[in-house]
Amino acid sequence: MNARTWVYACFCSSLLACGGAAVPQDSLTAAQADVKGAEVGGAADDPKAALHLKLAKDQIELAQKQIKDGDNEAAARTLDRAQADAELALSLAKEQKAQGDASEANDQVGKLRKEISK
Amino acid sequence: MKAAMTRTRTITTHAFSALRAAVPALFALGLGSLMACGSAAAPQELMDARTAYAEAAKGPAADLAPAQLDTAKTSLDAAQKSFDSDGPSQKTKDLAYVAQRRAEIAAAEGGREKAERKRAAADKDFKSTEIEGLEKTKEQLEAERRAREAANQDVNKTKAELATEKAARAEAEKRAAAALASLQEIAKVKEEARGVVITLSGSVLFATGKSDLLPIAQDKLNQVAKALVSQGFKAIVVQGYTDSRGNATDNQTLSLKRAQSVRDYLTTQSIPPEKITAEGEGASRPVAPNDTADGRAENRRVEIVVTPDKG
Repeated sequence: MNARTWVYACFCSSLLACGGAAVPQDSLTAAQADVKGAEVGGAADDPKAALHLKLAKDQIELAQKQIKDGDNEAAARTLDRAQADAELALSLAKEQKAQGDASEANDQVGKLRKEISK
Repeated sequence: MKAAMTRTRTITTHAFSALRAAVPALFALGLGSLMACGSAAAPQELMDARTAYAEAAKGPAADLAPAQLDTAKTSLDAAQKSFDSDGPSQKTKDLAYVAQRRAEIAAAEGGREKAERKRAAADKDFKSTEIEGLEKTKEQLEAERRAREAANQDVNKTKAELATEKAARAEAEKRAAAALASLQEIAKVKEEARGVVITLSGSVLFATGKSDLLPIAQDKLNQVAKALVSQGFKAIVVQGYTDSRGNATDNQTLSLKRAQSVRDYLTTQSIPPEKITAEGEGASRPVAPNDTADGRAENRRVEIVVTPDKG
C-alpha cells in the first residue's frame, strides 16, 4: 500500500465511523421490555426502585430523540443506561419484596411461639 | 483531458506533501492528547461505579450473587478501559453509569437472596414450632385424659367405698335390729326423754337380798352388752331399784350394789368402763304399786339408761 492509498483508506473509514451507526432498534425494544418488566415486578411501589424506573423511562425518551436526530451511537449508549436502570429497578423491587416476606415470616414465627407459650 | 489529469495529479501531490509535512505535528498532537487523558481526573460516574462495586463486593452479593457481581466487574473494567484510552469522555461516563447500576443490581440481588434464605429459615422454623405446638397440645390433652381417668377412678373408688359402707351400715343395722329384737325378748325397752331405758327384772338377776349376779343373769347381760355394742352409745347409767319393803338405807345400799354388779359385768363385755356408771335409787320411782307381790316384783329392777350416740 502506497501513501496515497493509505490516506484514502483512512479518509473513507473515518467517514463510515461518523455516520454509519445503525438505529439501535433492538436496544430500544429491550429497554422498553425491561421497563415493562420492572413495572410488572412492582418497581413503582418502592421509592428507590421507582426512581430508577423513572430514570429508565427518561433515558428511553432521550434515546428516541437522539435517534430522531441521527445520533444513533449516543442513542445506543443511552439505551444501555436505560436498560441498566430498568433492571436495577426490578432488582430493588424484588429485594424489597423478599425482605418484606422474610420479616412477615419472622413475625409469624414470633406470634406462633407466643401462642404456644400461653 | 490530459491537462486536467495533470492538474489533478499536481493538486494531489501538493496535498500529499502537505500531509507528510503535517504528520509529525499531528503525531505530537495525538500523543499530547493521550498524555492529557492519562493524567485527567476520573469522572464522577467512574468514581461512583468503583465505590458501588466495592460496596457490593463487601456485601452478601460476594457469596449469594457472584454472577451478577462478575457482570458488574466486567462493566467496571470496560469503563476503566474506556477512561484509560479516551479519558473522561461521554462514552466513559455512560459505561461507568452502567457499571454502577450493575454493581447496585449485584448488591440488590445479594440482598434479595439473603432475605429469601431468611424467609426459608423462618418458614422452616414456623413448621417446627407448629409441630412443637401440636406436640405440646397433644401432651396437654393426654395429661387431661389421664387426669380425667384418675378422677373417674376416684369417683368409682368413692362409689365402691360408699356402697361398701352402705352395705356395712345395712348389715350393722340389721344386726342391731336383731340384737334389739333379742333384747326385747328378755327385757323391756322403752324410749324416754333421758334416753333408751332397758329394764331388767331384779328377780332374774339376783337372789333375794343379794347383789351377786345369778348365772342366768350373765346370759341375759351378755345379750344386753351385745345389743349396746352393736347400737353404739354415748354413755350408760345403770340404776338399781328395790321395792318399798324394809329399811330405806338398806334398800339404797342394795340397789347401788346391784347396779354396780351389773355395771362391772358389762365392762367385761366390751363396754368401756369410762362410759358406764352405776347409781342406787332405792325404792324411788316405783313403776308399780308396792302393795301387791306382782307390783313389788316389778319395782325390784335394774334400769340401764342409754344415751344414744346420735344427737
